Amino acid sequence: MYDFIIIGAGVIGSSVARELSKYQAKTLCLEKENDVANVQSLANSAIIHAGHNPEPGSLKAILSIRGNLLYDDWEKDLHIPLLRTGAFVVAHNKEEESKLEDILETSRKNKVPNYEILSGDQARKIEPNLAKSITKVLSLPSTKVTYPWEVAFACMENAIDNGVEFQKNKLVTNISVIDGGFEIEVNHKEKYRTKNVINAAGVDSSNLGAFIEEPPFQIKPRKGEYFVLDKRVEGFMKHVIYPLPSDKGKGVLITPQVHGNILLGPSSEYIDDLHKAKTTDEGLAYIKKHSTALAENIPFHMIIRSFAGIRSTSTYDDFYIKESSENKGFYYLGGIESPGLTAAPAIGPYLVNEVIKVKNNYHPKADFNPYRSQRLEFHRLPWQEKKKLLDEDPLYGRIICKCEKITEKEIIDAIHGPLGSHSIKGIKKRVRAGAGLCQGGYCEEKIMKIIARELDISPLDLEYDDLKSKLFKEETKVKK
Amino acid sequence: MMKDVIVIGGGAGGLAAAIEIHQAGKDVLLIEREEFLGGILNQCIHNGFGLEVFKEEYTGPEYANQFIDVFLQEKIDYLLDTTVIGLKKEGHIFTVETSNESQGIEFYQTQTVVVSTGSYERTRGQISIPGDRPYGVITAGSAQRYLNTDGLLVGKKVFILGSGDIGLIMARRMKLEGAEVLGVAEIMPHSNGLNRNIVQCLNDFDIPLYLSHTVTEIIADDHQRLSKIKVSKVDESFRVIKGSEKVFEVDTLLLSIGLIPDVTILDDLGVEIDKRTKSVKVNQAYETNIEGLFVCGNALQVHDLVDNVTLESKRAGQAVVRYLNKDKVKENHTLSLNPGTNLAYITPQRLDMGLEQENISLSFRSRKKMEKAVCKIYQNSQLIFEKKLFFVLPAEMETIQLPFKTIQDQGDLKVELEVKS
Amino acid sequence: MKKEFICIVCPRGCRISVDDDLNISGNQCPRGKTYVENEMKSPTRILTTTVKTIFEYTPRLSCKTDKPIPKELLFKAMEVINDVVIEEEINIGDIIIMNILDTGANVIATKPSRKKE
Repeated sequence: MYDFIIIGAGVIGSSVARELSKYQAKTLCLEKENDVANVQSLANSAIIHAGHNPEPGSLKAILSIRGNLLYDDWEKDLHIPLLRTGAFVVAHNKEEESKLEDILETSRKNKVPNYEILSGDQARKIEPNLAKSITKVLSLPSTKVTYPWEVAFACMENAIDNGVEFQKNKLVTNISVIDGGFEIEVNHKEKYRTKNVINAAGVDSSNLGAFIEEPPFQIKPRKGEYFVLDKRVEGFMKHVIYPLPSDKGKGVLITPQVHGNILLGPSSEYIDDLHKAKTTDEGLAYIKKHSTALAENIPFHMIIRSFAGIRSTSTYDDFYIKESSENKGFYYLGGIESPGLTAAPAIGPYLVNEVIKVKNNYHPKADFNPYRSQRLEFHRLPWQEKKKLLDEDPLYGRIICKCEKITEKEIIDAIHGPLGSHSIKGIKKRVRAGAGLCQGGYCEEKIMKIIARELDISPLDLEYDDLKSKLFKEETKVKK
Repeated sequence: MMKDVIVIGGGAGGLAAAIEIHQAGKDVLLIEREEFLGGILNQCIHNGFGLEVFKEEYTGPEYANQFIDVFLQEKIDYLLDTTVIGLKKEGHIFTVETSNESQGIEFYQTQTVVVSTGSYERTRGQISIPGDRPYGVITAGSAQRYLNTDGLLVGKKVFILGSGDIGLIMARRMKLEGAEVLGVAEIMPHSNGLNRNIVQCLNDFDIPLYLSHTVTEIIADDHQRLSKIKVSKVDESFRVIKGSEKVFEVDTLLLSIGLIPDVTILDDLGVEIDKRTKSVKVNQAYETNIEGLFVCGNALQVHDLVDNVTLESKRAGQAVVRYLNKDKVKENHTLSLNPGTNLAYITPQRLDMGLEQENISLSFRSRKKMEKAVCKIYQNSQLIFEKKLFFVLPAEMETIQLPFKTIQDQGDLKVELEVKS
Repeated sequence: MKKEFICIVCPRGCRISVDDDLNISGNQCPRGKTYVENEMKSPTRILTTTVKTIFEYTPRLSCKTDKPIPKELLFKAMEVINDVVIEEEINIGDIIIMNILDTGANVIATKPSRKKE
């Protein structure tokens, strides 16, 4: 019997897994997808917000302020990439300026550090491409940007290193209450028993609760659409640019990314299907229209991709991080939408220490290793280090992804290891091969051959993403 | 080690330029990122190559082999499976940083660089087709490589967006290899491919061509595989006509929506870019604003026929030789060459008046289909040259020869297409 | 009644018409005339495809018929070619299948089965 089973390995489930790995408890994390960070954590703005938005006193406010600070620790311990961009919330006229005052007030109450008001001209000195129509700006220097996939990889790798079990492709198909805990049925067959369940299933969190009780909230998913600009636009905007928030959320932003790309978006729209977020002509046009109010001459011709992400907005108007009132030992992490990524480093500790109070029942591990080694980005290394690595393994010399300068050795490393991936998408998430200008047009064939070789499997068994998403339909000229 | 010339790219363009330069006695190193020479021709197994250059019809690999054989006989230095990861210029010397498995990272110095890195395919992301993001939406060239060199079929029920030649050729290939090809949609009212390919790739196999149609939504199954596409008719301004939607159940959507010159290798050099060609600006010697840096082939402008890549790259090779021989009255006096309203682009974009030569090859595409077209070149508002072209199409690049002696010493040139009155 | 053809002999793609008296016009070269004559009698095509090999570096090798074959035999010819596996190093122009389907055309390699250079 497990002490804890975490359902869901997005950034939140992974953060909880890492926090629980500090204790002498038997913990398992189940993920329905073929990889961590594959639904909500897959497609979002990647921003670590300053905390200027959430209602003062709310869990969103408290945990996002804490989370923002904790990212500095995660950067050191887990090698999570951070880009310290700062942010500007912009106003275009007197009416918007007065709304900016409200945000200033929220920032003050939430104890956002070092915020200040700048005139439009002052802001344009720092960001020359800001729209000329902007009259006033709230500067939020503590805003940062991270790489959400790496957040989940880092936490889960560290958790695995500290004894947590992780299993992917495990869809929870039933939960029943048993004596002293719960029985979790997976993929309609295997069963796992556990004393405690941590429901970090994102958009599926209310449905999971419904297996055993009337869930305390319902998920009303929203989607956000985005454009990705090629990394060659790096420097066009160095800060995260927010419009004033509306009833549709934070609005369309301009967000620089850690690898030099820029995101435009999101749109925001409620959707019916929990699992499908698609881009639409209307959504993409909306982004173009609204981003134009933030900056001059946005290089739309550098768009290399558009995508839609899903948000697990709930009927409860804050993060719902509580134990079930009917079923002790069943914990909800519900409605973790924005600023969920920001709060992630605080959510794990909050749940484990303040809600579950794990300390009362489990001893801390004396040999807990808080560190996770850095994922190597060969092309960014200094010359001497490159030289040393090339002597160790000549495959660091073979460039596979030309756009992002990813070497064969980095791809091989991404295939293997405790959290290795065998899918094209998984490799892209780990090393960015295929994330560039040609979107895999050149390297995908080479990557698929490397995966097939490393695993000694037929190309026909290769997956794009989940286990049934085969890359190829058949081999030609082979008798069937 | 100091080279006279480093040629980046070992496809049709690079091979032709390298041979030309080497035969003039210069020291050449050619760098190719693939494990073989010949570039994209290796996967273009269909025929139709070589009629201009060899007066004979070859398949892509055969055409490539004509040049590979000569290249190898010439004993020109080359590196395979080697990626150029840096290109810098200090003083008059270029440093080319290469990476490969056998040597690791190396630095080569050279007086001149010829960039013939070809083009890359436009992707779904660049045209923002809305919908889900499944696997099975793949560029036609990628599918071609999987099929023709690896023997892997990406799909069994295929639709093709874009009537460019690669798409048409792939329609036939997929069909011959056992896939069902449900149709080809082209947003323009006319095909972007050669007429012969409409006949022998579509008509021969009863594959319908939907002109003025485009893919308006991509729909995935539950396992991130393409399951359906929606195809709609568009009006003259390419707006989708509501209610014209057809649904096709397919597992694969091939994209044949255009090629873009791949000159990312020049990002750090501050080379002047032409928004029209999405490549660099060159003079009639294919030299960029960076002295000693030459660009040719699909890296300069997307060609319809490989024969034209060969001819252009030979000219570029000759220009490099001329540059190395300092055969130039250096007066740094250039005129600019501008496309008129009926031209999508023109190359070269500049004329260097210090570089006398008998004829200057001008290449361009029309913006629209024109019958009885005449290409007229104006300088200082005067007509200095004209040539009848009969029939021009956006899908076909035109090349004309402008006699150098017709150009006056001062005044920018404008090239226009007009209908013969 | 006029019949219209698009010539596929070369990339130029001439539009050729044939009138009721079988007068051919619109072709820019004599090959266009021959093409249309054939196209009216029995259309033929060169088949370009690949053949399986045992070589890891070139698992499929490109090949073609060295003459046009009747259009209606294209799929049949594919079946024949798909049954062949190249087991020895071959060169460009080498015959893979002699006189395929009695058409008089040979299937020849258009690429050498080159090993890794």
